[in-house]
Amino acid sequence: MNGNHYNLNLKDILKKVFFVDLIQGLFITFNYTFSKTITLRYPDEEKWIPYRRFRGLHTLNRNKEGKELCVGCELCQKSCPTQCITVVPMQDKTGKGIADRIAYRWEINLLRCMFCGLCEDACPTEALKLGREYELANTSMQRSLWTKEELLAAQEIPVEFDGGVIVRARLERDDKGLKVIPDMSVQKRWW
Amino acid sequence: MFELFISNPLVLMMIEVLVICIKVVVVTLVVFSLPLPLTYIERKVAGHIQVRLGPYRVGPHGILQPLADMIKLIFKEDIIPYKADPWLFKIAPIIAMVPAFAVFATIPFGEKVTIPFIDKEVTLYISDMDTGILYVLAIAGLSVYGIILGGWASNSKYALLGGLRSSAQMISYELALSFACIGVVMVVNSLSLVDIVRAQSGWHWNILYQPLGFVIFAIAGLAEINRIPFDLPEDEGTLGAGYHAEYSSMRFAFFMLTEYVAMVSMSVLMVILFFGGWDGPGFLPGIVWFLIKVAFIIYVIIWTRFTYPRYRYDQLMTIGWKILLPLSLLNILITGLVVI
Repeated sequence: MNGNHYNLNLKDILKKVFFVDLIQGLFITFNYTFSKTITLRYPDEEKWIPYRRFRGLHTLNRNKEGKELCVGCELCQKSCPTQCITVVPMQDKTGKGIADRIAYRWEINLLRCMFCGLCEDACPTEALKLGREYELANTSMQRSLWTKEELLAAQEIPVEFDGGVIVRARLERDDKGLKVIPDMSVQKRWW
Repeated sequence: MFELFISNPLVLMMIEVLVICIKVVVVTLVVFSLPLPLTYIERKVAGHIQVRLGPYRVGPHGILQPLADMIKLIFKEDIIPYKADPWLFKIAPIIAMVPAFAVFATIPFGEKVTIPFIDKEVTLYISDMDTGILYVLAIAGLSVYGIILGGWASNSKYALLGGLRSSAQMISYELALSFACIGVVMVVNSLSLVDIVRAQSGWHWNILYQPLGFVIFAIAGLAEINRIPFDLPEDEGTLGAGYHAEYSSMRFAFFMLTEYVAMVSMSVLMVILFFGGWDGPGFLPGIVWFLIKVAFIIYVIIWTRFTYPRYRYDQLMTIGWKILLPLSLLNILITGLVVI
């Protein structure tokens, strides 16, 4: 055992005797004890609002006059790699859409969807957009089939909202399941 | 008539016995329920040191988490390994637990108090032995038998190694611990814990007269109660869970209880020997000061657990035999020279 050939000077010896390094370590952990936590108290108290670029649940948009932007061109259906979108177009003269052709059925099977966003890219009228809703868990497979009416409804997070923050939220339980309701007024920056 | 009844020597003796019984029950219950808040505090402190929150879901800020854990431990299956020695396996947790509680028989929590309404003076300790500190050290050392027996009876390599490490560690550090206590005893000139505290009243705390002894006592004490950085007997990295690797359910809970009670008793001992017991500024009663000091030391022990890594086994032995033991002898020598 000739391993202990350290050149210990007086300073190092004193440091060892008075546990200087150990006490410094204690102070580091003490500071961390009272620092802000990185834990996101997700369903109960806080919720992460994603940025606009987030690819969550699909939305079908309307223009400023409230007309459906979707013209039923079926490009989204053709571009979908997992073939989870079903579009059935129909002629419509009532002016519900921006042209005389709208989607009769527009269905997406979220069990197959992988949120790649190719449908969004393919859409010529910018009707289809992947939104910021990400709580999609269900108790029945049937509820993963989203139809046009549900997707046309306004999303919980407005488009004007920038996102990228944690907001106050509360968890609500009822017969249908769980829901986390965000409160946009109280915001917190990510750690 | 009542006066006559109360002055009867037999009745007086009965009252004394009753008072002692009540004290024993109260101390046991308090010590028995202490691990519940301590696990919570430990997990909370751990969480916040690691920039987490710790338990948070059960009750407000997770305050009911220990209760949930307790219920879980009670209802878990009590597994005895096929090749284990069933009798020793069952009795080992009890052997570990009883001495941890027996230590509290001589621990003084405060001076005499007068209970209102019945004007009876009650001492805040169960008994004041003349050799209190000797008793505490001896009984605290007994706890290791439970650990060794548990490791042996499990018939598992990890558990046996944990038990062996524990005994080796206990032998190495018990010496330094006792020698550190001798320094205090030489200053105070008494082995009774009550006398030791009384001698420190008025800010003559032993930590001022025995700084080296205090450091040795603190390090050896950490090793005695198997806490990081000396928790080799339950080193997860190398031994699975150490001596209680095969234990589950309430038997495991007993071992955990033992560890927490040992932590409390070591903190209490440190307060009594070095921090003046119930001595403190007068605006709070003595027992409150006592509890504050104990709580602070428990916090420091938990704090160090989540700050330092574990020592290697050979380092542990080196510290025990080559550093702490000579230093504690030196401490006795210096104390002797100064006192004389």
